[in-house]
Amino acid sequence: MKFIKNHLTFIFPLMAILIGIEFFLVFERTTISYEDGLRDKYSMLVVVHDEIDLESIQNLNPHIFSIDLIKKDAIVDEISKGLKESSKKNLSKLLPYFYNVKLDTYFDIKQIDKIKADLEKSPIVKSVETFDNSHDSNYKLFIFLKFIFKIFISFIAVVSFFLIIKQMEIWSLVHKQRMKVMEIFGAPLLLRSAVMYRIAIVDSIISTIIISLFFVHLKYNWVDSSGIDILVHNRDLIFEFNDLFKMLGISLLIVISSVSMVISRLKDDN
Amino acid sequence: MSSVVSAFNLSLSYNNSENDIIQNATFDIKKGEFVFITGLSGSGKSTLLKALYGELIPKEGELVVGGLNLNSIEKKKLQELRRHLGIIFQDYKLINEWSVEKNVVLPLIIDGYSKDIQKTQSTRLLKHVKLSEYAEKLPLELSGGEQQRVGVARALSKNPFLILADEPTGNLDEYSSNVIWDLMETSCEQLQTTVIVVTHKIPTIFSIPYRHLIIENREVYEIH
Repeated sequence: MKFIKNHLTFIFPLMAILIGIEFFLVFERTTISYEDGLRDKYSMLVVVHDEIDLESIQNLNPHIFSIDLIKKDAIVDEISKGLKESSKKNLSKLLPYFYNVKLDTYFDIKQIDKIKADLEKSPIVKSVETFDNSHDSNYKLFIFLKFIFKIFISFIAVVSFFLIIKQMEIWSLVHKQRMKVMEIFGAPLLLRSAVMYRIAIVDSIISTIIISLFFVHLKYNWVDSSGIDILVHNRDLIFEFNDLFKMLGISLLIVISSVSMVISRLKDDN
Repeated sequence: MSSVVSAFNLSLSYNNSENDIIQNATFDIKKGEFVFITGLSGSGKSTLLKALYGELIPKEGELVVGGLNLNSIEKKKLQELRRHLGIIFQDYKLINEWSVEKNVVLPLIIDGYSKDIQKTQSTRLLKHVKLSEYAEKLPLELSGGEQQRVGVARALSKNPFLILADEPTGNLDEYSSNVIWDLMETSCEQLQTTVIVVTHKIPTIFSIPYRHLIIENREVYEIH
């Protein structure tokens, strides 16, 4: 009973950290997916005197991902209702070239203004329209939520880390007699503390498996029954197989560093 | 015969304090000798023993054990030295979560001996200390005398060149005491192991020759 209690008091804070990490990974993937969506929908309008190609506009700013020429005919048709055909042709010759420009990632207003300024420096560019206000408020809210979530996860991680350290100290007291006897008989530090490392590593593997199973369950069972459309559509973002290794790596790093901290403190005490 | 322990003007104190517990002790112990160190309670017997296994660094003078100067010994060298010592404590210092069998072979575990060798040695030693039937038990399931016999078996498990015993029979019944003295005598006589025993009273029946050092007023004398 005491043995199980000792393990659970270590596994629980570790699980709290891993849940935080997994949520962070899910949120990060959702953010990237959302930003990709925004990026795909977003375009700038660039008006130029002469026809240009992608390479020459990328020379003005490397974040330009693609350009798409808007056909003049459509514009002329729209603005020349009632005009003669010859006038339409003249108008078409006088009109500059309009391009839909897509960027390689989603930028905030400040960065978009910088791209706009870069483009406007060129003599071939007549004007640039950025349409920035429509997406920015949503995006800012999203960034704010992401920031709050990161703060929350960091807080949980720090608290859990201290709980782990406390538990390690309890373990070190439990193992103190054994470690002392082994020291008297000439055991090196690594051998004396091997049991603590072994328990910590086993617990970190158990925690990782539990959290992975929990998220797999969410992904394949709970999401469907929840009826939440956004989750159903983004099911793939909830848990990826790679996450298991990321969580295992991080939890091993946490336990090994916390055991090492406690052991080095014991060493100093001696 | 070569010196196993050699002390010259040795002074010992805790935390380098002014109050010396042992002062200017000079003695030399050779291979195969059996030495009793006696003295009143608090005279510094256990402190001297601690210094012999490197738990306490000499304040002044020189202390050499097994050819290694303990005044300035490196941690790795000290660990190596301790792996060749057999240490017996009054409070046994057994690992309570480990079986008797595993406790006996602790020095072999530390040295990385195979499970087979550990098993052979623990069986032999437990038979030697008349505890074969207790191999699987935990130390706390044994009486004080039985626990001390486990401690002695552990000390002998790697045929050490030096056995250090701190009041090994204090509070033990006569039977356990006799078994323990007998084991140490045998080890000294047959294997030429040097044995240093700190005790408040030398056993009345002791069949092999021994030396007697006494600690009095912080000084170490030899009684001839």
